[in-house]
Amino acid sequence: MAITILPPAPAAPAKAGARAYNGNADSDDEMDIDALPPGHSQSVTILTPGQTVTDDPQWMRGHGTFAETSGTAIRSTLAGTLQKTNKLLSIVPLRARYTPEIGDLVIGRIVEVQSRRWKVDVAAPLLAHLPLSSINLPGGVLRKRTTVDELNIRAFFGEGELLVAEVQSLFQDGSASLHTRSLKYGKLRNGYFMAVSGMGGGAGVVRAKRQIFTLQTARGGGEVDVLLGVNGYIWIARHDSSADGKAGDTEVGLNKLEETASTSMYSSQNDVIGAETRRAIGRVAGCIRALVQGGVKVEEKTVRSAYEASLELDEQDGDQEYLGGDRATSIVEMVLGG
Amino acid sequence: MAPYTGIPLSPAELQYLHTSLSQDPPIRPDGRSPTQFRPLVAETDILPSTNGSARICFPDGTEAMVGVKAEVEKTREGGQNVKGEVDGKTGKDEEMGDDSNRSARSGRGWGEWVEIGIEIPGIRDDDALPIFLSAMLTEALLADAGLKDTLWINTRFHWRLYIDILLLSQPLSYPLPLLSLTTHLALLSTRLPSLISERDEDPLFNDDWEASTHLYPRSKADGSSAQRPPITLLVMSVGEMIYFDPSADELAVADAVVALSVTSTSTTDADALPLKLVALRTIDPPSRLTAGGVPNVLSTTSTTGTASTGTTGTGGVLAIREKDQGQSVWRPPRGGVKRAVVGRMIKAVVEKGGVGMEVMAGLAGVET
Repeated sequence: MAITILPPAPAAPAKAGARAYNGNADSDDEMDIDALPPGHSQSVTILTPGQTVTDDPQWMRGHGTFAETSGTAIRSTLAGTLQKTNKLLSIVPLRARYTPEIGDLVIGRIVEVQSRRWKVDVAAPLLAHLPLSSINLPGGVLRKRTTVDELNIRAFFGEGELLVAEVQSLFQDGSASLHTRSLKYGKLRNGYFMAVSGMGGGAGVVRAKRQIFTLQTARGGGEVDVLLGVNGYIWIARHDSSADGKAGDTEVGLNKLEETASTSMYSSQNDVIGAETRRAIGRVAGCIRALVQGGVKVEEKTVRSAYEASLELDEQDGDQEYLGGDRATSIVEMVLGG
Repeated sequence: MAPYTGIPLSPAELQYLHTSLSQDPPIRPDGRSPTQFRPLVAETDILPSTNGSARICFPDGTEAMVGVKAEVEKTREGGQNVKGEVDGKTGKDEEMGDDSNRSARSGRGWGEWVEIGIEIPGIRDDDALPIFLSAMLTEALLADAGLKDTLWINTRFHWRLYIDILLLSQPLSYPLPLLSLTTHLALLSTRLPSLISERDEDPLFNDDWEASTHLYPRSKADGSSAQRPPITLLVMSVGEMIYFDPSADELAVADAVVALSVTSTSTTDADALPLKLVALRTIDPPSRLTAGGVPNVLSTTSTTGTASTGTTGTGGVLAIREKDQGQSVWRPPRGGVKRAVVGRMIKAVVEKGGVGMEVMAGLAGVET
């Protein structure tokens, strides 16, 4: 059958243990905060913008709330769940754009090329900057950037090209400045890009110990690199074995960069990738899509177990490559169960 | 047709997708087979004040809703010019049954009785995209004379059909198949009140909605429509391979994108094809607007700063680029699509048990 058509499913019913709103007539749009356990805890019910969180003056207002000038009421400014940390109340939004923080590993796409910098889309409210001075210039890191480099700027990155970078600093308005001064960072090739939601509530990529990992795939797919950008952009690529010898054993020092900044650094030419590796990359992408659909956070552990689950699923009901619909839900169940 | 401009992909991504899709057997980025559609969510009869309505969600998050509203309208004077010839026919009608009533209608309908309006968020309604889309959908609808003639009531009055198409999400990929399938579902569920008045009297209708008739009459045997509204499918080609239901990133590397409109044939001949092609349009693939990649040989970043291509002059660079033929790096596709490829696309849609039949059968199975 070429096409499957499903009836619309009703929204998921509220969990059995979930607390309903306080049904009393006098405080019908107020949360019962005291019911939450002491210390750090989060409510299950959803607050809408403008809804009164509490009238009690003992609470302090945190992110996502505002206090009226007259009176002690704290209201929500976001749609999300209430988070309580001792006496501090804040609202965690259901979904939000990525807000850059220093040190985040992000994947970005060049939107604009300017005379001395690039503007990069990192799924944040504002475009990030990548100055020419914070990339690895060929011929060694200690070389000063010259006017020739400025004229040659499009040879490094052109519009639409993808790169992995780190947030170096933040501007006053919250936009980020990136750098790629490490051999881990730079232009992306040999793979497939996908965008899910990033940090800021809901399913998607979360900050974890490791954002970049290598997956050993089955069926001759070889090794596949998965780069989970904190901003929700994901890059799945063939593992570059030539990089192992150079950068794998030691952290790349500034002095070593000179030798290793090779010609392939700014290449947009893909290597030859076998069909099995391409299938493996597609499968990993399908697993991540299933995770996001099922509302599971995307991190190294869940991606690995989703990949295992997809292989297990193949053993059960034959080889099918499309990981959508029913197969997606069973993958999510297996990830959450195991 | 209106070009579709999405976010540009990088040359490396484009080259990866293009080689994946031009392989045999092909590897689609989501692992589907070439003719497989993504599972979609559909429902009909959702708007109570319309004659027929439907909603479809694609799994990429795009969603469309269609409402069909019918109105009785006085036929313009121009339409009455034929009255003289008509009178003789209507005289015969009195003795004949229902079948001849149908034949009396044939050729009386006007294309302008069907109006399609498309609303896409973020795009003005006089923008090229909604205008081309509505033109393509209207063209397919009117190619079959059956619909126009059903709208004819008598020599003085006719139905006017307003088909309002609303895209509820951003157009993340080319929305034509989504809008077409939703329109198909809405038209399938459209019902018109049954007529009580006779011949050229002012039309009077039965109040009972249960007694209303389907715009596309259903066969009594299994409740499915004998005649069906047209569907428009998007088919793309990469090299020799053809793909149905392309996702946004597949569309980005298409060599050619073709919109095929098919409708059911009313013949009862068992050997005849169940579907016929009513319209075919090529759509400018977004891949033509992309920039090509720079092969490693021509890269200017490897030499320290001086950025010279050395011995190769302008002619040499061009020769290297042309010789490469888009093998090592991405090159935007040039030229058109081969006749044989278009032929295979049409065959895959209209043939018995082909994609067109499966899609129509799937949509007919949607419960209200």
